[in-house]
Amino acid sequence: MSFSRQLIAGVAALGLIAAACSDDDDGDSAGAGGETEADTGTESSESGETVTIAASVPPTDHGWLGQIAAKAQEAADQWDDVEFRLVEAADADSQASQIQTLINEEPDALVVLPYDGEQLTPVAEQAMEAGIPVINVDRLFASPDAARATILGDNYEIGVKAAEFFAEQLDCEGNVVEIQGIAGISVTQDRTQGFADTIEELCGNGINIVAQQPADFLPDLGLEVMEAILQANDDIDAVYTHDDDMAEGIVAAIENAGREDEMILTGAGGSCAAFDRIEAGGLYAATYLYSPTMAGSAVNMARLIAQGRGFADLVEPEVPSQIVVPPTEVSQDTVADLRDLCFE
Amino acid sequence: MSTSPTEQVSGVGGRADGNGRPPGLAGLALPSRIKLQEYALVGVVLALVVIGAVLKPDTFPTSDNFRAILTQASVVGVLAIGMTFVIATAGIDLSVGSVVAASGVAGGLVVDSGAAAFVGGAIGFGLGLGLVNGTAIAYGKVVPFVATLAMLAIARGLALLMSDKSPISLLGSDGVRWFGTGEIVGVPASIIIFAGIAIGGWILLNRTRYGRHVVAVGGNREAARIAGVPVRRVVFSVYGLSGLLAGLAAVLLSGRLASASPVAGELLELDAIGAAVIGGTSLAGGRATIVGTFLGVMVFAIMFNLLTQLNLATEWQQIVKGAIILGAVLIQRPERI
Amino acid sequence: MTEPILEVRGLVKEYPGVRALAGVDFEVRPGEVHCLVGPNGAGKSTLIKCVSGAVEPTEGQILIDGQPAVTGDPSRALENGVATIYQERDLVEDLTVAQSIFLGHELRRWGLLDRNRMRRETVEILRRLNHEAISPRIHVRDLRPAGQQVVSIARALSRHVRLLIMDEPSAILDDSEIETMFGIVRRLTAEGVGVVYISHRLDEIRRLGDRVTVLTDGRTVASGLPATTPADKLVEHMVGRKVGQLYPERRRGDHKVVLEVRGVRRLPDVKHASFEVRAGEVLGIGGLVGAGRSELLRAVYGVDDREAGEVLVDGRPVPPRRPDRSIAAGLGLAPEDRKSQALLLDWNLIKNVTLADVGRFQRGLIRTRVERAAAEEQLRALHTVPDDGTRMARELSGGNQQKVVLARWLLHQCRVLLLDEPTRGVDVATKAHLYRLIADLADRGLGVVVVSSELEELCGFCTRILVMREGELVAEVDGAEATELELLRHAMPDRQEMLAQTAVPAAAGADAGQEEV
Repeated sequence: MSFSRQLIAGVAALGLIAAACSDDDDGDSAGAGGETEADTGTESSESGETVTIAASVPPTDHGWLGQIAAKAQEAADQWDDVEFRLVEAADADSQASQIQTLINEEPDALVVLPYDGEQLTPVAEQAMEAGIPVINVDRLFASPDAARATILGDNYEIGVKAAEFFAEQLDCEGNVVEIQGIAGISVTQDRTQGFADTIEELCGNGINIVAQQPADFLPDLGLEVMEAILQANDDIDAVYTHDDDMAEGIVAAIENAGREDEMILTGAGGSCAAFDRIEAGGLYAATYLYSPTMAGSAVNMARLIAQGRGFADLVEPEVPSQIVVPPTEVSQDTVADLRDLCFE
Repeated sequence: MSTSPTEQVSGVGGRADGNGRPPGLAGLALPSRIKLQEYALVGVVLALVVIGAVLKPDTFPTSDNFRAILTQASVVGVLAIGMTFVIATAGIDLSVGSVVAASGVAGGLVVDSGAAAFVGGAIGFGLGLGLVNGTAIAYGKVVPFVATLAMLAIARGLALLMSDKSPISLLGSDGVRWFGTGEIVGVPASIIIFAGIAIGGWILLNRTRYGRHVVAVGGNREAARIAGVPVRRVVFSVYGLSGLLAGLAAVLLSGRLASASPVAGELLELDAIGAAVIGGTSLAGGRATIVGTFLGVMVFAIMFNLLTQLNLATEWQQIVKGAIILGAVLIQRPERI
Repeated sequence: MTEPILEVRGLVKEYPGVRALAGVDFEVRPGEVHCLVGPNGAGKSTLIKCVSGAVEPTEGQILIDGQPAVTGDPSRALENGVATIYQERDLVEDLTVAQSIFLGHELRRWGLLDRNRMRRETVEILRRLNHEAISPRIHVRDLRPAGQQVVSIARALSRHVRLLIMDEPSAILDDSEIETMFGIVRRLTAEGVGVVYISHRLDEIRRLGDRVTVLTDGRTVASGLPATTPADKLVEHMVGRKVGQLYPERRRGDHKVVLEVRGVRRLPDVKHASFEVRAGEVLGIGGLVGAGRSELLRAVYGVDDREAGEVLVDGRPVPPRRPDRSIAAGLGLAPEDRKSQALLLDWNLIKNVTLADVGRFQRGLIRTRVERAAAEEQLRALHTVPDDGTRMARELSGGNQQKVVLARWLLHQCRVLLLDEPTRGVDVATKAHLYRLIADLADRGLGVVVVSSELEELCGFCTRILVMREGELVAEVDGAEATELELLRHAMPDRQEMLAQTAVPAAAGADAGQEEV
């Protein structure tokens, strides 16, 4: 290459580097990583500078996940200083690529409910390294470097509470069937572990888990799995399910077999259909709030982080890095009071 | 062209000798490939039943359980019958699972007008989607895999759209629930309907000109055309049939679920295709058997029931399922694909 | 006398239940063309497979250059210089010519493919075969069958062949291409290569061969006869008895016109064709491959569309692109490739026979017993072996498969039968049988059209012969007076007139070196 060409190339390269550097500075001042000046003491509801928030969620093809998307959108809509974009994925692989695309758009914050926390950890770390704070919702990433803040329900606690419920209702004696969600994800593992640990602790060998099968959060699969389990076990005292939507199919199987008086059932999530059944009494005894409103909270958190602010009611100047929402038990006693919180 | 590759120059299986006998079997007529496959499957079914009876003697070999198995099998079964026709033409229908969901939802939207409206709505909607497939494939010359893959996504989207992403409750409609849980002379309605479709399918495939034409199209499209078979019309119709049966399957499923769920039927098409293929219907077209499909459906249904009853962890269930499928196919004579 | 390249002694091959070869003796000298003839199922293919290593013989010896060869191992056979050109092409269509030629023994340099060298050697080999016009870069699928066959031969040459086995090579070639292929064979034998040449066409044996061996029922019934042995003697050896004349008496046909074809056009193959067929006659259509004969039949029948022209059966017009209407009007078509275009090999004979007219047996449901009876009646009338309708079409020999196709149209009682190469791939004895059947059909009042590449057979039994050339019907000749030479002259574009001279049966060794490709 001739000298003049080299010179131009060199200048161009320097120019690019300079531009990249200045971009980074801009990012910093917008509050990425939250290390620069945080505004303490201002009301969260006051408008700050406009920030862009991107959100990535798994396919919102059923109740709970659909509500996640809806609540996130609702939360974003209430702010006039937020530009919001929600992207829905088909599976773990495409979610990773979609997040890549979102990273390239350089939002001020990224809210992610990963299809699978483990599989999406690398791309979340990438976002964090690029200076984009990630807010992890519900399904946990595998590494603390993958998110600036996490909000999730306490899946383990759901298991604990359900176990306590059954221990009390069954007097620590009986056969329990567990119908899980999607096998292998952290949500499932925690809900199962919490239940198993607590049942053992409280009841020892008094309560037997006679069947444990996944039904992928799908009602028709729940129906079929329960039908087979009903055949295999003629004495079931309780059914612990991981999801209200899925439980609809399980309930149908039990009712079709005419065995609704034989057992009680718990769900998780907090769908209004479950609330109706709990109110009516009988088979469906309780559910545990695992509210999709956490997505709305995640968006709010994202806004504050992007603007370099903290929660108004907290003394600390920054948004906490982990918020765990406890699973409120909804049983026949409490269902009326908690009505407002159910989702369709 | 789906016929055999050009004949070997000679040797076993090649040209017959002067007397027309195939060299190698001295006068014995080779039993038809399909019959052997069917016998092999009966063997697999029996083996599963025996294993189940041994492992779970109190809960598996009971009439109650067999009813449960057959009832569950009826949804996939109805789909698989339709799939048999489609595959016989050397086509494939990947959309049936999604069409089941969409048809159920479509029926659910009009269920307030009565159970008959639900049934009509579901079957009609399924038929409609099937005919869209048929049009794209027969007249639009779109490859079946691609056309039905597109419909898989479209139908799922329609199901979610029309239902606003939440299931439509059918608890109030006893008429619809009858399809899932009702009985006729002590036999669950689902099973009777499945049996009826299977018998009807067998008659249609084996004893009518239409059935002959369907298999001819898959066996040798060019030869069928020259022989006067209305190839495009036949191809168009089998997808309509598949869609219609998906609508019927939706009725059976929704009746049992007591709800029309937009997320129902995920991956159901794979079960339907799998049942037909291990039953002996060739993916290359030209060979189809309803009896084989029925047996294939039973293999899957019995397997699911047994593995769930045994409370086998999912990972093992997957492996066992795969092994049984492989076994069922290997027992049969090696076929050219 | 030099030692034979190939010697086969007492070769026996048994499959469960059948003795495909029951003691065969055979030898090939260097530089000779040794022809192998025999009816279908005689064991020619099995013999070839033993020699090429595809199959392991049960007993007997195979000697190459006097040394016992390792049997049952195709790669060893290839190493010994034995190459086979099969009837059904063994080429992969998507590869280029050079890639095909070196498939399986690619030339390498430092571990990577040496494409330049392969290309150069390809060009060299093709020049040896006088086919340098074929570029090493084009894909096999873009070549005509004749070209693909040249590539197969080139493949054999790329491995330094000493013995070349050719199984019915002329089946897919037209007459000028056959001449070219003969030229290649003569070139090879001049270099000392021995050639085993299997063919049904006795005229080729006369023209190309040095010696001929007849195989029947797995046995050598006559070995090493001179190639000039007259045809009926050979047929006699094959069939074991005296055979009457090959061709039946010529039918005259009456005056009633059953099929009228006016101005049919289907570009690019059929430019303009008009002809008539009368009841009771056998109308032959001859011409070179590529002249458009098959396309003409398909356009007349209606399986392919036509851009112009009319077709009338018994005076009534038949619409294009509606095979069902053509069938209803009384037309029937037996396509060129019976296995891939007419039969459903996985079906039994009954279903194959009734395919064009299933509705006739349906009263609500198909009455299978009536269907079977009707189908078997037709099969018996044509002397199909076996005539058991429950057998699979796949199991039958080529000649009998053709009868199944004919049975289909007879069941339907058609008025005009269009037969495209009906005797292709069929041995001589069965051919005679088929000619008689065709003549019988004419006797029944059908009009029969026969398209054939074997001019000899057209001259043998057709009432009239039309010649098609480059999409047009250029001549009509009375069957009784026609000669092959005359037909050939009409069939060929003028610049190849010279070629016609060399087509006359000449003394073996006529130098065909000046032919242009």
